[in-house]
Amino acid sequence: MAIDLDRCTGCMACSVACQAENNVSFRADESDKLRSITWLEVYHLQNGKEYPDYQFTYLPRPCMHCDSPHHSPCTFVCPVNATTRDEVSGIVNHIYPRCIGCRYCIVACPYHARDFNWWDPKWPKSMESMLSPEVSTRMRGVVEKCTFCHHRLLKARSKAYLDGIDPNEATYVPACAEACPTKAITFGNLLDPESEVAKLSKDPRAFRILAKLNTEPKVYYLSKHQWVHKLGDNSF
Amino acid sequence: MDKALIPEGVKRCPLPAFALWVLVLLGVIGWGVYAGIMVLLKALNLTGLNDYFGFGLYITVDLAIIALGAGAFFSGFLYYGLSRFFPALKELHKIINLAVIVGFVCYTGALAVLLLEIGQPIRGWFGYWHANVHSMLTEVIFCITCYAIVLVIEYVPIVLENRKLSEIKPLRLFGHNLHELMAIFALTGTFLSFFHQGSLGGVAGVLFARPFAYRTGFFIWPWTFFLFIFSAIASGPGFTALICRAIEKVTGKNLVDRSVYELIAKIVGGLLLFYITLKIADTLYWALVLAPEAGLKLTDFYWGPYGIWLLVTEIIICGVIPAILLLTPQTRQSNIIMFSMFFLNCVGVCINRFVMTVQAIAAPVMPFDKWEIYVPTVYEWAPCIAMVAYCILIISLSYRYLPLFPRERELNPAP
Amino acid sequence: MKFGRRAFLQFAAGAVGGTLLSPMPWRLADDTAIWSQNWSWRPSPERGPITTVPTVCTLCQGGCGIQARLVNGNRAIFLEGNPVHPVNAGGICPLGAAALQYLYAPYRIEQPMKQTRARGEAAGFQPISWSEALDDLVKRLARLKSEGTPGGVACITGSRWNSMDDLWARFFSAYGSPGLFKMPSHSDSLRATAKLALGKDSPLAFALENASYVLSFGAALVEGWGAPARMQAAFMRWQKNGAGKGAAKLVQVESRCSMSAAKADQWVPVVPGTEALLALGIAHVMVKENLYDADFVSRGVLGFEDWTDMQGKVRSGFKKIALSAAYAPDQVAARTGVDAAKIQGLAREFASTANAVAVWGGGQHNVPGNIYHEMSFFALNVLRGNLKSGGLVSLVPDVPFQPADDQTAASAEGGAPQVKLGSVPGTRVPLPGNGIYGFLDILTRGMIPPLEVLFVHDANPAYSLPENKIFKAALDKVGYVVSMSPYMDETAMTADLILPNHAAFEGFEDVVGLPGVPYAYYAVSRPILKPRKDTKHSGDVVLQLSKALGGNVAAALPWASYEEYLKNRVNALAASKRGAVADKKDIDLSRLQSSVSVSPNFKDGTDLWKKLTGGFCWYDVPVDVRSALDTDSGKIELAFRAIQGKGLNVEDDQVYLPHFKPLPPSGDEKEYPLLLLSYGMLSLSCENLANPPFMTKTLWDFVLKKNDLFVEVNPSTAGPLGMSEGSKAVLKTPQGEVAVRVHLSQAARPGAIYMPQGLGHTAYDEYIQGKGVNSNSVVEVQVDPITGMGTVWATRAQLRRA
Repeated sequence: MAIDLDRCTGCMACSVACQAENNVSFRADESDKLRSITWLEVYHLQNGKEYPDYQFTYLPRPCMHCDSPHHSPCTFVCPVNATTRDEVSGIVNHIYPRCIGCRYCIVACPYHARDFNWWDPKWPKSMESMLSPEVSTRMRGVVEKCTFCHHRLLKARSKAYLDGIDPNEATYVPACAEACPTKAITFGNLLDPESEVAKLSKDPRAFRILAKLNTEPKVYYLSKHQWVHKLGDNSF
Repeated sequence: MDKALIPEGVKRCPLPAFALWVLVLLGVIGWGVYAGIMVLLKALNLTGLNDYFGFGLYITVDLAIIALGAGAFFSGFLYYGLSRFFPALKELHKIINLAVIVGFVCYTGALAVLLLEIGQPIRGWFGYWHANVHSMLTEVIFCITCYAIVLVIEYVPIVLENRKLSEIKPLRLFGHNLHELMAIFALTGTFLSFFHQGSLGGVAGVLFARPFAYRTGFFIWPWTFFLFIFSAIASGPGFTALICRAIEKVTGKNLVDRSVYELIAKIVGGLLLFYITLKIADTLYWALVLAPEAGLKLTDFYWGPYGIWLLVTEIIICGVIPAILLLTPQTRQSNIIMFSMFFLNCVGVCINRFVMTVQAIAAPVMPFDKWEIYVPTVYEWAPCIAMVAYCILIISLSYRYLPLFPRERELNPAP
Repeated sequence: MKFGRRAFLQFAAGAVGGTLLSPMPWRLADDTAIWSQNWSWRPSPERGPITTVPTVCTLCQGGCGIQARLVNGNRAIFLEGNPVHPVNAGGICPLGAAALQYLYAPYRIEQPMKQTRARGEAAGFQPISWSEALDDLVKRLARLKSEGTPGGVACITGSRWNSMDDLWARFFSAYGSPGLFKMPSHSDSLRATAKLALGKDSPLAFALENASYVLSFGAALVEGWGAPARMQAAFMRWQKNGAGKGAAKLVQVESRCSMSAAKADQWVPVVPGTEALLALGIAHVMVKENLYDADFVSRGVLGFEDWTDMQGKVRSGFKKIALSAAYAPDQVAARTGVDAAKIQGLAREFASTANAVAVWGGGQHNVPGNIYHEMSFFALNVLRGNLKSGGLVSLVPDVPFQPADDQTAASAEGGAPQVKLGSVPGTRVPLPGNGIYGFLDILTRGMIPPLEVLFVHDANPAYSLPENKIFKAALDKVGYVVSMSPYMDETAMTADLILPNHAAFEGFEDVVGLPGVPYAYYAVSRPILKPRKDTKHSGDVVLQLSKALGGNVAAALPWASYEEYLKNRVNALAASKRGAVADKKDIDLSRLQSSVSVSPNFKDGTDLWKKLTGGFCWYDVPVDVRSALDTDSGKIELAFRAIQGKGLNVEDDQVYLPHFKPLPPSGDEKEYPLLLLSYGMLSLSCENLANPPFMTKTLWDFVLKKNDLFVEVNPSTAGPLGMSEGSKAVLKTPQGEVAVRVHLSQAARPGAIYMPQGLGHTAYDEYIQGKGVNSNSVVEVQVDPITGMGTVWATRAQLRRA
């Protein structure tokens, strides 16, 4: 995935679409950001200068689906194999019914991409009707995170199979990339050098968050501002 | 009935006084159990934990109590294992029973708290069933369970030495036979415990995306693996000695010879010196090599309440100073200094466990992250305090009804 | 055998051992684990085939194509952008993405309700049947009409870009009351400006997609100025290389570092409220340095050079005003806080870059602006020659419904005397615009005849009208308040009768034109689900009332249903043989030119209706300003010639020309040393729709923390007041006092306080109610003396520690 921060207008459509697509629960008070379940969290970055040299940008942060050798930071530590990386798609998944809620993965992830169900997820009765059957709802006491809309991949693969195409060639778009009104989010196969996303990853504006930690995040950011690069990766 | 249970030839406080004491402890335990049940029923939102602080007081206390409980396996190792080669270590048999009990209560207490810590305790057994062999936590789960079983086995013969129980012949024989086997269990326990003290250290050290905690290492084990073992064995015996001293103070008796304390002081001092040297080397390597590689400076790791004072306290005040004072014969002569140093040593290991758990995640990693502060709630304190009360309760009961100290009768002749 | 203690213990030990050896504990462990995965209180969404239904979003005026995902055809689970739709090309805004939360909102009204106790008592609402409710209303309306006081009926509606607008107008014309008022919007100003300068009663439109230099005076462009998705798409183009011309440059003139300012290539911070002064300063430089389109101005503009008024008096033109010392860079620099050199630089850049356009307004509360300032910004476009054919500034085109409209309009006029809708009896302003504030004012002061029935439709003025206490005060003078809200909002709470409308996506709706967009646009939104509650479309309510009233009213509104009425309009549109349907991907509407007409790709009304209800939109070419011009002079008028005949006749030449004339906020500067400004965010709904929980989740914790709202203040302002990050404070304006917390931000200009719009609801449910403070309760409205429209620019304020 590549996210062009220059194009991002901070409208939050990505984050909202993600919540709607993935049955993310919400509470009456969501202002405690440290306990709010947000798969695609948007961060507020600023250049630290004074008025009128002040500048800020928004930075949407899905799960990075780290590509570090052998294991992602989180899959490495899960004691019960509840979170694993699919080596074909590269997607890091989380099996909610297997998760015992030890939160070791939350501790391991430097991107805060993982959220814990501190409460029983609850919806206003009438809003239960808008829950998607394609994504299971979670229970209290387990961890959840962005799956790059993995269910959409499965759907695309099934469709490809039925259409007689190689399922491994199936393409899809996660809800956030689809929703973005400025098309700031590009999604595709990084391993395919011809893909749009692979090209963007080599753009001179591209950078990754905390590249120095050898987590090999699969989300690239693009920004024309050096201060944003610095804030994304202090190794600059 | 009470009288009949008390070991022969020793004096214990009157039953009403003891009952009152037990009642107080039970009260505290009840409070903690209530808090624990509330956490189980209403979920972890009652705690001060959040998505930033996935680990908190529960884990810190667990790690600390397990490190302090290390006196059990290490004393056992010295007594059952090494005393064959170093006869001086035979002295330890005077305190080995207490060490086993301390270990037993620490480990079982820790397991109980661990049950609260996980979000889905009903599925706790998945750790055995769906084990991920790469996870340090898996290593912890297996080792801690096995070692807790070993400790139970070690504790049973002590219980069976109770006057009433030993009247029952099969039990006495069973206990006696277990005693014979104790060396094997002690050494198995030692192995397990070495491993899991280490894997607890590994839990932090393998977090390669958390520069505060991450360490390079040997084979699959990060250096924290070894540091945790050394810090545990360097503080565990001291903790046992402190407990023993506390019992002496409370009961107003001498229970072990001072030579035992002396011996422990020497062992602890030596180990602590060894540990703290390695720790300093590790800290330097971390500050000068690892942190810069992650794009950070040492000062990036310390802020506000999580200041550099933690590092200074842990290494200098609770490490270097006790090591030196315990190894210096003159200062060791003073009970005050000796026990204070044991105490500081224990504080140091607690700080270490706190730092590697809470501060490791309090320190921001993404440059646009900001420091957060973790404040545990009463729902976290209560079970932890109750666990300590449970430890005290078991030790109190054991002391009252079991012949823990072989030298007690001689050191406290009936008037 | 005696069952002694020993036996008991043996038995117990045996039982424990036996149980452990049996499969029971393992089975139990497994079962409880499975149970923990299927807790009954964890909802399991019902499964079924998933289908997709295309439609058009009607939550705002943006006209986005969307598609709804349904399970079993009866449960809507997701809304996404329609990739074929030319406005949003698959993208969606957060409100659209969260829209189903309105459909399934717990605060929806189940059926018609009648207040049986004092107004505002929540417990007093009793359900009644539709026939009962309508009968009662018809009786009231019929009585007023027969008594010759139809003026005792009024309506406040939020509909302006759909056919409800037209339906209400027909109803009120036929009924004979002028009392149809709309909620304020910045497009009122764009309309007034166009009326004044071009003689056309249509809002101005800007071809922003084709611009390569955008000079924005406080226009909240990326926050969704006008049509949000269209603005996002335009912004995306500016980031890309627009038509091979290189990326567009965006210059944002604003006192606060808003999202638009942050996204701009250049942010020009100014003293709040001096944006127009800066525009005039730029005009000064352009005129002085001869950087304007002299050819266009001399041939097509009246009032640039000196001009002759209706009485034959020669008056100074804009040129003279612009060149006056007051607008010289040094003077402007002193008052705006922008360097003189920077002003010159901006002017030169604006003048020399191809496809440069100036836009403005809508930054603070989507409300009209000061007409002199609006005209000043407009003047920059005139100087730049942007109003030429094919230029970047034109008008929002009308959608050609005429043939059908005429038919019934004639019968509507038959019975009742002609009334000027939206006019306010008793007030006289030279160029009346949106008269809602005048209306509320006169209502409060006592109107003759008294207002007996007030409809509130598609609006929540009790919450979202700036200085909302004006509305609340006026309500006391209304005999009977009828709310048509589908939700239990603040206005519905104060109603006597609630006739709940369908929620969006439950009934047929349409979109007529897009605000600020130069091409013609029409779309029909088909329902995706059957109505979930016992609701009725407000259009059907109006039609039923008309039918029951009979006579000329029934004749003017002869349709059986709102859907029928829309079909009728679509038939008329088809009959016009204009425009086409965008039924393919990648149709670029911004490339349309007024000179190149499009050929229709629909056969007839039925075919067009089919295509439109299939989620496609109709479009047509932009307006050619030159041929559309309808001024007396036949030229673009920079001088306000038209207002002279309307009672404004003074010596001062400046009164007839764009100039800098801020409307002074009330209050003593000593008591209120700071200025309060409010700001909007695309991720915080601030008009008649309460913020949905999904969007509330995305709010920063420095905007809302628990129930506390944060105002943005510069540290240099907060410091001397003894405040630090998160400090509790009391914000006091002449309008009221509220408790807030302080967020220190370098985005805030020293001396100003910035407050988010869209919080502080008192109605709805626990997910919305009581969160923060409603900015409308503390801001102040200043009435523009020329148009009579309520404007909001800044309110004097005081901030003190709580």
